[in-house]
Amino acid sequence: MKLVDATLYVVRIPFVEAFSHSASQRRCSESVIVRVRDDEGTEGFGEGAPRSYVTGETVDTMLEDLARLWSRVAMRELPPAGPLAGLGALLLEMAGAGGVMRNAARAALELAMLDCMLNRVRRPMSTVLPPRRSHLTYSGVITAGSVERAVQHARRMRAIGMRHVKVKVGFDDDVARVMAVREALGPDVSLRLDANGAWTFDRAVAVLAALTPLGLAAVEQPLARGPVEELARLRAATAIPIVADESLVTIADADALIEAKAVDFFNVRVSKCGGLASSLAIAFRAGEVGIGIQVGSQVGETSILAAAGRHLAAALADVTFVEGSFGTMLLTEDISIDSVRFGHRGEAPLLTGPGLGIRVVEERLRRHAATIQHLPAEG
Amino acid sequence: MKTTTIRDLLEGQVSAFTDEPRFAALEAGRGDYEAFIENVARTHLKSPQLVAFLYALAPPAAAPALLDNLLEELGRAAESEPPHPALLEDLLRAAGLGHRLAAVHAQAEDDLRRLVTEPLLYGTLRDVGLAALTEIVAFEFMLSRTAGRIARALATHRGLPAPALQWFTHHAEVDIGHAEQGLENLAAYVDYYGIADDEALTLIEITLRENVFTRRYFREAKLAEARR
Repeated sequence: MKLVDATLYVVRIPFVEAFSHSASQRRCSESVIVRVRDDEGTEGFGEGAPRSYVTGETVDTMLEDLARLWSRVAMRELPPAGPLAGLGALLLEMAGAGGVMRNAARAALELAMLDCMLNRVRRPMSTVLPPRRSHLTYSGVITAGSVERAVQHARRMRAIGMRHVKVKVGFDDDVARVMAVREALGPDVSLRLDANGAWTFDRAVAVLAALTPLGLAAVEQPLARGPVEELARLRAATAIPIVADESLVTIADADALIEAKAVDFFNVRVSKCGGLASSLAIAFRAGEVGIGIQVGSQVGETSILAAAGRHLAAALADVTFVEGSFGTMLLTEDISIDSVRFGHRGEAPLLTGPGLGIRVVEERLRRHAATIQHLPAEG
Repeated sequence: MKTTTIRDLLEGQVSAFTDEPRFAALEAGRGDYEAFIENVARTHLKSPQLVAFLYALAPPAAAPALLDNLLEELGRAAESEPPHPALLEDLLRAAGLGHRLAAVHAQAEDDLRRLVTEPLLYGTLRDVGLAALTEIVAFEFMLSRTAGRIARALATHRGLPAPALQWFTHHAEVDIGHAEQGLENLAAYVDYYGIADDEALTLIEITLRENVFTRRYFREAKLAEARR
C-alpha cells in the first residue's frame, strides 16, 4: 500500500455559541484535517487541533510539520492495517524526534493513515483497537462566562440527564460559580473543575478548600504547566483528586508526573498527545501505577477527532471520564453524514463502520475550509 | 406557564433571521433562490408527520388546534384546500426545480430519519414532544411575520407567479392566528404534563439555542455525495 495524495484543510466551523475558558475563547473550530488517498483510490481522514497554549502548535506550524511528515510518507510502501503501536512507531521514526511541537500534526496524519488502511480492507477500528465496553458516557462541559450563564448551562445539562459535568474555573468568582452550578445540577451529578492552569498555588488551595464540601470528583490542571513538584505539593494539600492536562503532553511528561506522584488522573487527548498510539502508551503507563484516565477532547473538534476519542475510550481497560462528541450541540455543522453526538445522559454507542466509523462529506470540508493545500506525491 | 418569555425568545430569533445578510440578499435580488426554495421545501415537506406526532401527545386543551393544523397540512378536500406538501412541490416545479423533487423528498426523509435514529438528548417522550412543539410553533411564529416578505422577494427577483407562492401567502395569512394559538398550545402542554416552568424554559432554550430558521433555510442545499 502506498499513499499517493494528501490534502490539508484548515477548517473553521462556526459554533452555535461561543466557548470560553480562562486561557482562550473560541467562536469557531480550528482544526487541520488531512485527507490521504492510496494507490487504489481509498481515502482516509485525520484531524489535529493545534493549541499554542498547550503544545505550542499553531495552524502554520502544523501545516509545515504535515508537509515535512508527508514527504517521508508519500509513495513509501506501508504495512497493512495492524497493531497501532506499529503505526505510531513508524510515524515517530518518519518524524524524527517526536517532540511536543509535532503532536497535533502527527495525530492528524496517523488517524488519516489508519482510516485509509482500514477503509482499504473495509474493516472497523475494532480490528486494531478492540473495544472493552459497548457504549460510552460523556461529560457535559460548562463554559466560562457569567455565573448566570453557567447556571443556565447547568440547567440544560440537568435537563438532558448528564451524569458527569465539568465546569470551567479560574476567575475571581470561582467559589460562587461552582456553588451555583452545584445547586442547579443537584447533588447526584458528578461535578469536577477545570482551571486550565489559571490558579496560583495559594489560590488553588484556598478555592479547593472552600469547595471541598461540594463533593467534587476532580480538579483539572489547577496550576500552569511547570514543575511537577508543585502539582505534587498541591495534591498533598487538598482532598480533591487532581487531573493533569496541559502538564501531560508526552510520554516523558507522564513519567515525570508518575515519578513525582503529582496527580490522580491523566487527561489523554488524541490530538494533544500525538495520536492514538501515543495516547494508548500514556494510558498504559497510567494504568500500571493506578492513575485514572480521562479521555478528553479539543473544543470544536469535528467528528474525526470525536470518533478517535471514542475508539480510544472504548478500548481502555479503565476510563473514569470521557469528554467530547458534542457534534452539532457546539458546531453549526459537523462534517460527517452520521452524527457522533452523544444522547440523553451523555451516552453514545460505539462506531462500528469501516475505518474510524464515520463518513466524511468532503464538500462540507471545502465549504468550511479557510485554506486547502494539496501535497504532491513526490513530497 | 406564561407565554411572554417564549414570545421574547421567538421574537429574538425572528429578528436574528431577518437581520441575516442572506435574508437581506434574498430581498435585494442577490439571494441564492434555488438553494433557498429547496431548503424551505426540505424543511416542511414532511411536516404532516411531525404534526401527527404532536397531535398524539397533545393535551386536551391543545388537541383541537393541533388537529386543525394536521388537517390543514393534509389538505381539506371538501374545502378545495390542497395538502401543504403539494404546495411545496408546486413551488419547486415553478422555480424550475422539478427535477430536484425526488432528491428533496429524499433529503427530507433523511432529516426525519436522523431525527428519530440519532441519540436523543431528551429522556422522555414528553420532553421530545415539547422540543418538537417548540420548533413547530417557532416556524409558525416566524412565517406569520416574514412569509409575505419572502413571497414578495421570490415574485420580484425570481419571477415566480402567485399560484406558485401559495405556500408562503397561505402561511402569511393563517400563521398569525396559528402562532398565537401555538404559544397557547405550548403553555397548555407544559401545564398538562406538569413540567416546572424553569425546566420547560430550559428545554425550550435548548431547542432554540441556535437560530432554527437560519439553520434550516440557509443550509447548503446540494451536498455532494459522501465518500462512501
